[in-house]
Amino acid sequence: MHELGVVMEVAKVVEDFARERGISKVEKLVLQIGELSAMIPAYVQDCWPCAVDGGSLEGTRLEIEVLPGNAVCGACGAVYRLLEHREGCPACAGTERELLSGREFLIKEILAC
Amino acid sequence: MDSFKVIEIKKSVFEGNERRAGELRAELGRRGLFLLNLMSSPGSGKTTTLLRTIEALRGELDLGVLEADIDSDVDARAVHEAGARAIQLHTGGMCHLDAEMTRRGLEALGTEGLDCVILENIGNLICTADFDTGASRSAMILSVPEGDDKPLKYPHMFEVVDLVLVNKIDALPLFDFDLGRFRERLARLNPRARVLPVSAKTGEGMGAWADWLRGEIGSWKLAAGRRGQEGGRL
Ligand SMILES: Nc1nc2c(ncn2[C@@H]2O[C@H](COP(=O)(O)OP(=O)(O)OP(=O)(O)O)[C@@H](O)[C@H]2O)c(=O)[nH]1
Ligand SMILES: [Mg+2]
Ligand SMILES: [Zn+2]
Repeated sequence: MHELGVVMEVAKVVEDFARERGISKVEKLVLQIGELSAMIPAYVQDCWPCAVDGGSLEGTRLEIEVLPGNAVCGACGAVYRLLEHREGCPACAGTERELLSGREFLIKEILAC
Repeated sequence: MDSFKVIEIKKSVFEGNERRAGELRAELGRRGLFLLNLMSSPGSGKTTTLLRTIEALRGELDLGVLEADIDSDVDARAVHEAGARAIQLHTGGMCHLDAEMTRRGLEALGTEGLDCVILENIGNLICTADFDTGASRSAMILSVPEGDDKPLKYPHMFEVVDLVLVNKIDALPLFDFDLGRFRERLARLNPRARVLPVSAKTGEGMGAWADWLRGEIGSWKLAAGRRGQEGGRL
């Protein structure tokens, strides 16, 4: 499982961010994870307490927003969700496509004081 | 207590690795050292293929090998005995290599005099595709027993590679792997990826694979030479 290493990197980025801005307490962290990324939200959630154990983010709540994996059809321009239509465009059956979203792994925001 | 506020960060977690990978690739470009990131599932035939490759290019190109696949020195030793410089990276249970680990591996290997380093990435088709190692090119080995439906199950891997070696084609009669169907599925995800059917066991197709490597190493060096000349004119 690769989530732990990546979640520890997230914790480091957020800790640095908070320190630079003189933030003493991060109440909540919000991540955005694309549904086509190799990060599984439930695993990320499971790793979180372990990744922040003993650090300044211990006790910070983690919230995850899942972003849809959408593509735009190269033939007709229809936008569709890849997980529902792996084999091609539901409107015209075209297989040329461009990925619009779904691979993100973003630190969106924190709730802090 | 009610002074909590939302602070936007909007930062990609992969950003740090992508920057470091870009820096490593640029540095390798300046030095004309070609780095191939080779990915696959366990048992697909990476070590057998590497041994064949070393043999095919012996006396012509000097190869180095970074073995990242599980902490066992067996594969590194076999490659070393075949005549290539090789080290085993101890990845401590990680499921992918990133650019920083790759850079440290290259330093530990020592790259003076080498034309090409092949990074045998950790045997896994999911996480390795998400982390740019800084390699010049990426390739994967898919072996016939794994099935031609792998692009449907691991689309991202097939999207990021420049070349797919379909290995163990000597076993095609025993499996329902359909090369035509595989090519179609791959083309849908990644039209510019090359496909080379090979057998590391019988040696079939190894000539075409060696040619591909020669070509890529050659153009990587040529580009480095041109950059060197441009630099020299300043
Ligand atoms: N029939 C056949 N067997 C092969 C071929 N290439 C490799 N093998 C066999 O497949 C098995 C695994 O090959 P390796 O080269 O060790 O594969 P690997 O990917 O390095 O394996 P790990 O390092 O254990 O993940 C061995 O028993 C090889 O002899 C091939 O082209 N045809
Ligand atoms: Mg091996
Ligand atoms: Zn369409």
